[in-house]
Amino acid sequence: MTTDLARPLLLEDTPLGPTAGGFYRRQNAYTGLATGVLFAFVGWLISHALLQGSNWGTDMVVTVTMVGWVVGFNLGVGTFNAPLRWMLGHDQTYEDELYAAGVGQGKKRYYKFCTDHKVVGTQYLVLVVILFFIGGTLAMMMRTQLITPHTDFLSANSYNAIVSIHGMCMIIATIIMVTGPFTNFVMPIMIGAKDMAFPRLNAMSFWVVVSAIPPLLATFVLGGVDAGWTTYAPLSVQAPPAMDAFSITMIVFVISVTVSGVNTIVTVLTMRAKGMTLGRLPIFVWASIVGAALSIYAMPALLIAFTSMITDRVVGTSFFVAGQGGTGWLWENAFWIFGHPEVYIILIPPVGAMLEVASTFARKPLFGYKVTIAGFVAISALSIMVWAHHMFTTGWAPELAGPFMVTTEIISIPTGIIFLCLIGTLWKGRIWTRLPMYFVYLFLWNFIIGGVTGIYLSDTPADEFFHGDMFVTAHFHYTLLGGAMIAATAALCYWFPKITGKMLNERIGKTAFWMIAIGIQITYFGMFWEGFEGMPRRVAFYDPIFQHANDMATGGAYLLMLGWIVLLYAGIESLRHGPNAPANPWHSKTLEWKVPTPVPLVNFLVDPVVTSDPYGYGEPEPVGPVVIPAPHPDRELVPNLSSDNPLAKDDG
Amino acid sequence: MSSDPSGAEQPAVQQQGDSIVAGRPFFSGPAGKIFIIWFLMTTVGVLIGIFAPHHLMPTLLSHEATDVWRTMVLFTILAAPVAAIVYAVAAYSLIAWRHRGNQDEPPEDGPPLRGNSTVTAIWLGTSTLLVLVLLAWGLAVYSSEAVAEPHSLQINVTGQQWLWTFSYPGTGVETRSLVLPINRPVQFNVTSVDVTHGFWPVDLGVQVDANPGVVTVIRATPDKLGSFTVRCSQLCGLYHSFMYAPGSVVTSAQFARWLQAHGASTTTAQAAALVKK
Repeated sequence: MTTDLARPLLLEDTPLGPTAGGFYRRQNAYTGLATGVLFAFVGWLISHALLQGSNWGTDMVVTVTMVGWVVGFNLGVGTFNAPLRWMLGHDQTYEDELYAAGVGQGKKRYYKFCTDHKVVGTQYLVLVVILFFIGGTLAMMMRTQLITPHTDFLSANSYNAIVSIHGMCMIIATIIMVTGPFTNFVMPIMIGAKDMAFPRLNAMSFWVVVSAIPPLLATFVLGGVDAGWTTYAPLSVQAPPAMDAFSITMIVFVISVTVSGVNTIVTVLTMRAKGMTLGRLPIFVWASIVGAALSIYAMPALLIAFTSMITDRVVGTSFFVAGQGGTGWLWENAFWIFGHPEVYIILIPPVGAMLEVASTFARKPLFGYKVTIAGFVAISALSIMVWAHHMFTTGWAPELAGPFMVTTEIISIPTGIIFLCLIGTLWKGRIWTRLPMYFVYLFLWNFIIGGVTGIYLSDTPADEFFHGDMFVTAHFHYTLLGGAMIAATAALCYWFPKITGKMLNERIGKTAFWMIAIGIQITYFGMFWEGFEGMPRRVAFYDPIFQHANDMATGGAYLLMLGWIVLLYAGIESLRHGPNAPANPWHSKTLEWKVPTPVPLVNFLVDPVVTSDPYGYGEPEPVGPVVIPAPHPDRELVPNLSSDNPLAKDDG
Repeated sequence: MSSDPSGAEQPAVQQQGDSIVAGRPFFSGPAGKIFIIWFLMTTVGVLIGIFAPHHLMPTLLSHEATDVWRTMVLFTILAAPVAAIVYAVAAYSLIAWRHRGNQDEPPEDGPPLRGNSTVTAIWLGTSTLLVLVLLAWGLAVYSSEAVAEPHSLQINVTGQQWLWTFSYPGTGVETRSLVLPINRPVQFNVTSVDVTHGFWPVDLGVQVDANPGVVTVIRATPDKLGSFTVRCSQLCGLYHSFMYAPGSVVTSAQFARWLQAHGASTTTAQAAALVKK
């Protein structure tokens, strides 16, 4: 399936024949939408006709309708084109592949099933921003409800539904916030590859996750998921039909993340440029593959959990129903076997990206490169053995509280290595205070607070006070928002010129930074306060003794949201009026900055040859003979011998 | 490339590494300044650790709640120096070594420090040691709490959407408010009749989920008189917010009277025995 896309030099101008792309020509997001709605309707019609009056009728109808939507949408957008053609005995021609990669389609390719990794990365970026604003709006609705102990803004049922969808929407967004945009767009260029190893699977992973979002939002009109994002059974088994749509969302999302994880690992293992040894990989690439490996381990647990949930609800199995021999603890175990590695799936890739930013803007090599990689690997290995610390207070296996406390606290040792690497990199650095570096410092500040509060919660006796209260909420928002999402924002500001071709407006960006930075502290210190006082999570109405803390949190939340809106405005303003970005505005040494901006379809006209790792700041240029590899028979190799670039890379 | 900055702008940098050797006062070199920042931040952290939980947490009515408070204080005091060293190094790097002036690239790179095995070893050793201390403390406290006391008062707790029921076995008393005698270990046998709830008598500092079909156990020893609230800590449906019950810790005599007043089926003598056993 790999086609040598490097043959024509300027593919953007290559005229394609009238039939290139075949069926792809007729397909885009709108045909996907139309087919999805059609399939959903047909699914509803058939299942409704067959199941009228039966016991689990509504759940079955909703499930079939949602499956119909997902299949229809992906059929309509082109996800299954190539496999269908193979089934019919054809293959795609070279011209078809060029069409699928977006040649000659201008901006339209962003609305299509496009195999170019840069288009997929950009599509992911837009999707992530949309998801964050949906989740953020839901968060603002919750905080508004909590202004007074008894606000009439939301009903109890809407509040619970919003709690659940805010949670899952943000989890989906944070899982893909770095692996989607940056691993797809930047990582292949970083390792000197032409594309991801499986470009069609790459495009599929994006469009599949797009198809998962409408069912998630449909839960609001299907009665609302009232069981929180963790959807503990048996409450979730009894929940309205919204739960079926929610389960379909999660199953489809698991498919997307797993496919994308496999793609990332195979790409790094097989597509590296000559000389790009594993020991020379940028730290972000390491973080990406560690995160991807962890997601391949963790995601199937979620798939199993939600498949069992659907069968419990639709055909009356009883995995999780105590009255029929099941147990809610099974759900909790399955969920957290996914759920704890998941926080590191979220965290590790942005941290890797942030370390790239730290090295570039401190103008120093990364401190302790190998130790940091060992830290990432140790975190992932330990993270699969800590899940039951979410269950200290459930009553399941109290005798395991000790062992899980041990594994949980040990994980703080490799996590500490990340801080060592970060402050070691900053130490004596010529710190260049541009916007990305602001967010690195904010990450440092927040993640320490998130980490220290996590240590309290890892202690079983303390957790028996704090579990299920707002302290936990504040803790994980400090790690996931204050840590991971801020690190991802650093990465976004860093790669914004490369991805969009425009420089980001830092004046507006710094305004947004201060609003976000201060907003986070006010909001989540308010929540810590609520937690100390003993306010449970996920309540729409509360005891008046918690009011001051809640007002603090709500005020901070408004500031925080406003900060994100200002940052979005900075992005849009820069896209429209910003100056064009040079190829390497940060004078960084990783490969993605050696290719032109905007990045052409063929990343490298000539394969790069790598002679050192990308962190040679402040080091003398490599001396001695540069080994020029024997030329490949049909490719021209032009090693770069220019004086300012230790990474041998041509400019075409 | 040279790692020396321009001396005129950043005098602090020139002293790095040789502040003591060269006979300069310790506190004017980077190490000394970082020490000052670190010391101030550690002090703030320790003060927060000592005072914040005390002021923010509810009244600690039990031995277990006091343990939670002690844990918070100890962990904060242990974490403060570590957090402070990270903050101090990051802050000092920003203050002393940042590129000043325009927004262009710094004219020269920083020193090519690719790692330092001594620093890494100290870092790993210190964090391992701290984790061991935390673990020793946590496991010791946990094992002391997990022991079943022989003569503890048994209370059956039942959660349902959206209220709590407490029954005192042997007395026939069943109420919607939780009353406990002081200084007597209590064992809560918790279950649910519908979905999962979280039984959380807040000021007692313990909680356990109420799961349908099974009985989970949690123990506490109230050691102060006072009132508290039993809350639900697991989202349990529509009116989760309203699932709470009043609770109080009373003297043994008050407890006996309270049992009587709520129609204890036993005689006064038996009730007294139940109390004192």
